[in-house]
Amino acid sequence: MNPFPDSLSSCLLRERTRRHFFQNCGVGVGKIALASLLAKEGFARAASLAPPSVSASPMAPRATHFNATAKRVIYLFMAGAPSQLEMFDYKPKLAELAGKPIPPSVIQGQRYAFIQPDAAVLGPCFSFARQGQSGAEISEVLPHLAKVVDDIAIVRSMTTDKFNHSPAQLFLNTGNGVPGRPSMGSWLSYGLGSEADDLPSFVVLKSGGNLSGGAAMWGSGFLPSTHQGVPFRESGDAILHASNPSGLDTRSQRDAIDLIRSLNQERASVAGDPEITTRINAYEMAFRMQSRAPELMDFGSESQATLDLYGAKPEDGKASFANNVLLARRLAERGSRFIQVYHSGWDHHSQVENGVRRQCQTTDQACAALITDLKQRGMLDDTLVIWGGEFGRTPMVEASAALGRSLGRDHHPQAFTMWMAGGGVKPGIQYGQTDELGFNVIENPVHVHDLQATILHCLGLDHKRLTFRQNGLDFRLTGVEEHAPVRDLLTG
Amino acid sequence: MLPAVSPRPHPSLWALLLGIFFPTAGWVTQSLGEDQVSFNREIRPILAGNCYDCHGPDEESRKADLRLDIREEAEAVLGAEGELWQRIVTEDPDDLMPPADSHRELSSEQIGLLKKWLQRDAPYEEHWAFRPPLQSELPEPETADWIRNPIDTFILARLELEGLTPSEEADRYTLIRRLFLDLTGLPPTPEEADAFVADVSPDAYEKVVDRLLDSPRYGERWARPWLDLARYADTNGYEKDRPRTIWPYRDWVVGAINKDMPYDQFTVEQLAGDMLPGATRDQQVATGFHRNTMINEEGGIDPLEYRYYSMVDRVATTGTVWMGLSIGCAQCHTHKYDPITHTDYFRFMALLNNADEVDLDVPTKEILQQKKAIETQVASLEEEAMGEMDRQAFEKWAAALRAKAVPWKQIRPSKAEAGMPRLHILKDGSVFAAGDFTKREEYRITLPIEATKERPVTALRLDVLPDARLPAHGPGIGFYEGRRGDFFLSELSAKTADGIRLALTDPSASYGKISIGSGKADPGNVIDGEGSTGWSTAQREGEAHHLVLNFETPIAESVEIEIEMLFERHFAAALGRFSFSVSHAEKTAQALPSGTPDPHGEEKDALQRWFIRTDPAFAETRKKIDALEDRIPATPATLVMRERPPSDPRATHRHHRGEYLNAEESVKPAVPEVFPPLPEGAPANRLTFARWLVSESNPLAARVPVNRAWQAFFGRGLLKSSDDFGTQSPLPSHPELLDWLAVEFVKKGWSRKELHRLIVSSATYRQSSTISSELLVADPENVLLARGPRFRLDGEIVRDQALAASGLLSEKMGGPGVYPPQPESVAKMAYGNQTWPISKGEDRHRRSLYTFAKRTAPFAAFTVFDGPTGESCVARRDRSNTPLQALTLLNDSMYLEMAEALAGREAKRERSSEEIATALFRRVLVRPPSAEETSQLISYFETQKPRFDSGELRAAEFLPTAKPAEPELAAWTLVARALLNLDETITKE
Repeated sequence: MNPFPDSLSSCLLRERTRRHFFQNCGVGVGKIALASLLAKEGFARAASLAPPSVSASPMAPRATHFNATAKRVIYLFMAGAPSQLEMFDYKPKLAELAGKPIPPSVIQGQRYAFIQPDAAVLGPCFSFARQGQSGAEISEVLPHLAKVVDDIAIVRSMTTDKFNHSPAQLFLNTGNGVPGRPSMGSWLSYGLGSEADDLPSFVVLKSGGNLSGGAAMWGSGFLPSTHQGVPFRESGDAILHASNPSGLDTRSQRDAIDLIRSLNQERASVAGDPEITTRINAYEMAFRMQSRAPELMDFGSESQATLDLYGAKPEDGKASFANNVLLARRLAERGSRFIQVYHSGWDHHSQVENGVRRQCQTTDQACAALITDLKQRGMLDDTLVIWGGEFGRTPMVEASAALGRSLGRDHHPQAFTMWMAGGGVKPGIQYGQTDELGFNVIENPVHVHDLQATILHCLGLDHKRLTFRQNGLDFRLTGVEEHAPVRDLLTG
Repeated sequence: MLPAVSPRPHPSLWALLLGIFFPTAGWVTQSLGEDQVSFNREIRPILAGNCYDCHGPDEESRKADLRLDIREEAEAVLGAEGELWQRIVTEDPDDLMPPADSHRELSSEQIGLLKKWLQRDAPYEEHWAFRPPLQSELPEPETADWIRNPIDTFILARLELEGLTPSEEADRYTLIRRLFLDLTGLPPTPEEADAFVADVSPDAYEKVVDRLLDSPRYGERWARPWLDLARYADTNGYEKDRPRTIWPYRDWVVGAINKDMPYDQFTVEQLAGDMLPGATRDQQVATGFHRNTMINEEGGIDPLEYRYYSMVDRVATTGTVWMGLSIGCAQCHTHKYDPITHTDYFRFMALLNNADEVDLDVPTKEILQQKKAIETQVASLEEEAMGEMDRQAFEKWAAALRAKAVPWKQIRPSKAEAGMPRLHILKDGSVFAAGDFTKREEYRITLPIEATKERPVTALRLDVLPDARLPAHGPGIGFYEGRRGDFFLSELSAKTADGIRLALTDPSASYGKISIGSGKADPGNVIDGEGSTGWSTAQREGEAHHLVLNFETPIAESVEIEIEMLFERHFAAALGRFSFSVSHAEKTAQALPSGTPDPHGEEKDALQRWFIRTDPAFAETRKKIDALEDRIPATPATLVMRERPPSDPRATHRHHRGEYLNAEESVKPAVPEVFPPLPEGAPANRLTFARWLVSESNPLAARVPVNRAWQAFFGRGLLKSSDDFGTQSPLPSHPELLDWLAVEFVKKGWSRKELHRLIVSSATYRQSSTISSELLVADPENVLLARGPRFRLDGEIVRDQALAASGLLSEKMGGPGVYPPQPESVAKMAYGNQTWPISKGEDRHRRSLYTFAKRTAPFAAFTVFDGPTGESCVARRDRSNTPLQALTLLNDSMYLEMAEALAGREAKRERSSEEIATALFRRVLVRPPSAEETSQLISYFETQKPRFDSGELRAAEFLPTAKPAEPELAAWTLVARALLNLDETITKE
């Protein structure tokens, strides 16, 4: 029931109210920051689960179930589903069979989004070559990734349950295909608390268009809403309302907060409600966030070499993927725990060749740069990097007169490729295999729930013990079926 | 552990006054001495939490064939030294229960309780929530003079037991603000508050209560928590999240609450209003409750899969809202803790699963009047024109049209069949398709043809027809991805009864356009043998159109022919209503533009009107008519349920592991076996079920809503887990009170207003919320209610209160959702680059209830205060306290606009600073400020104003609307902003 019965510091356990927490725990307000400031009012949703001190301070850093190999995650989410057959999973057999219908025995009643199941085979659009010491086969459209291939683990045997974007993206993020369950980032926030003291712990960045799965992908579902992800906005304030109102300056903002604090303190002395103290501190935290946010967004402290490495163009105000990946690293340095960088535009129902080439030109360099940069800074060891989409693409061609589509690939849930790096993942390995058509996984399947269990494992959490009681049932990220971390991918 | 209230030997004073005596409730018989142990209170939670996973109701996960939730089954292992005891205390890790790998461990306290229980012959009790509530005798606490109504007897008795005393009554200003916010979601004006404070009559408070319960604002306030449960939103959810029209349902909720519709009726109308005899339009609108499920509009989905998920949501929501039970847990397997089996779950689903989801037009009186007025004007314009018409020109035109148009004869099909949907042949010979649709549907229509060699049938005409039951009035059933009312006819073929194909040629159509994609709607697409091309009439939904095909070889004898239509797209796109006609004409038949009257059949009048609308001579008249018709207001259509006809029931199956693709045997509708069954003889359908839910057969019927009401007033329910009354739930803090209120609620005719009146009239509610340091230690969560409630307001009330204080609030009720200001970047986060078209005029300042609720990008100022997304049923909102809330209240220009209006309202030149500061303070906080508070506001004003004067702070930029932007107003706006940010402001007090 309670995932952390023994892990809280004894100080936390002893205390019954936040007031005591502030007064007696010997931690200055500044240091405990989010831990206390994001404290939740009223009553924990699952009262029976958590001692009052936990409900009082949901963002307090918490101990892990076992030793973590990663302290944080940067998740490069390729929304729309990149074609594994053009990037990672080379299938010469497809070229051989190109133009012929795929054998019905392979299809076995699989439902598709757009194509009829008897569609013809489409050969790989690019050439592949072995790269690095590990000799991983990589497509010609990934020249940058080819250089860091020995630092990553390629998983060619991913499978999912969902064959449409929105459900599949939700499934990867929340373990369920319908909106409303807690997202992975919010589970981590719930499980581990926060180490960022003036920035959000769970941040969402996006480029390349909007996301099918929508806000539910970083929602907190039935977990306390404090744990939801904070999406950085592409225009205006990155953190909503983090700028002073126009015409005001920092001093006037400070004056306002001082007045509000003074009147709130006055009230606290009458009403005696410790929640008022929490509110006072929330305003202090808000003030710090307002000054911290511009510093975060200002790439002035990055060397030209770093900017060039990523291909980042800070002067190009629009959030490009490269800028976001660099920003993700900056967030990681400043204590954010779960940083998701979404990039849309991989849904190549038509002209998959041009589509994949274009997207790789936009993303390949920055993805590889992140690995190189984290490594240089000694952060790769405890930063888990994940790359991938929500499903794969069909070995069959998609074409439609009504939709004006040709030479595309439809959605394919049975097999797709992801890669991971750092944070306890074995470098330079390749895991799992698909059949000669790239249709089904034939070796070491990794279900989405296994991937989620693996990510939690790297962060020191047992996916079966990270639960939350809602409507009388203990929910977890990885669903009710049996799933497990993929040990073969891990160093530990 | 909760000590129980002792029973009193005599019926209480209250019961005597009411002239009613109630039998002792189950709770009281459970009162225990020191050494006793209760199964319900102590043992079941231990067993459920630690043992039922493997030894509970779920057969699939049951181990060692042992279940501990039923005494008969557990008998063998009970006893003081029995197997159960041995396994708990054994040193052998292989035998230990719960096993180590379950990560569960019994505490020594729990082991002690189990020991006592086992030593006392291990009695079982039925779960309290599954027994009907009974009104116990009222306790008789010592301090009787504190008591205002029966609620207080329960609260006080418990406090006395704990050695606590209630708090004094809150001061009058606090009380009136609390009452206004609770009953109407808006603050009193300072004048209203002063009037109450000055009113010394003994019923001063009661008079205000009466007034507020009668206020239309009451319905707006109390609709909100119901809409949280109903997962109401104005968009479809998932990827595209496009707008839907279902606000008439929202307005129905407000109306029903305002007229205090009894909760039982409120229930029946929402679940099965369409099935009531002579169902009114309003009763049908009410069934929107379960149309609030999401619709996945993503291209390429399997629509039946998402219909199934909607059903799953309907089951879970019904369970939570009316039974306080997590029925949803039995979707995948038999419930681990509660006695609800996997089959029970799908039987429950079957009760709700026999409706079609249709649209219902809801014209308002104004719309009907406007429409009629315009139609009259158009008619008179037409008549005028007809009077001036050149007869000869008309006759010539008509003759030409007759020559071009072939005569048609409609054929009533003798048979109409389809795969999934049911095709109904209507009285007029047209066909209406109802039911469920997939991405590939085939219709087979049999037409009896009368023909001879002399008079062969030469052509076939398909009319696609509007119908008010269809999305956007049809003619298609398209309800997602494409346009509403869209269809896509891929292929049309004809054959004789012997299967001989009748070749079709010379296709033409009255109109053609396809939605989505670059394809063309060439009528020839339907005979090209290619499924991915087709004919459609997108963008002119709600109109009749037709397609004409000629038989290559005329049919020269009376035969039955079968028409086959294939609808195949990446979304469900079958036809909803259509008819067939044939022609005997010798010439090749051709379609005329949509709307052209039949020159061979229709009245002359219609032809003349058409002439006027098409002939160049009447261009001026036509322009006027078009302009008028453009002004005809669209009739809104809302989403409702319609029970299927008995001839066409929908089968419900059990799904293995709850997965859509694993449908197993079909199941009959029934309520879970643990409850009394539906009444004998009544049909097992939605209506019977709805009535059952608010009958004595459902022990939770009244407990659940009463508990939710308590939660709304006090911040937590008497049962804290207001969404779960199952065996895993914690025990209620005041079980006897919960049951007393539940029975009282029913006795008072399920009246929400009477229940609320009872609660706010109690001394318990009227207490001061001040927390002494002793009370903070003794009862930090205020479970025992030795003080009044003090908690943060919902985000919507935070905004409404600020609007009211600033004088901007519009009182306009109902209608489509509105768009208060927020940064464009909020809506931009959602798929499809939808905009947030900020409302103008009073719609900018409507009550928050009317804010357009977009599921994937909910209004940011509500979300940040834990507002719901509308994705699932919410029985209890979180109440967080975060820096992002501070940023919103400090910097969101929506709030700055209110602060400016508030300052503009009070900062009058003739007033002193003290007067202005006091007035601002009172607009927001109602009570008069202390001298210290006023002086702080003034000194803040005095530090800020010079900075505006000097230009350090820029008034013109800061003030969103004021012209000229004066430093004085800017500085008072800062003061108003600070007031809107105070903890006291966004808290009940």
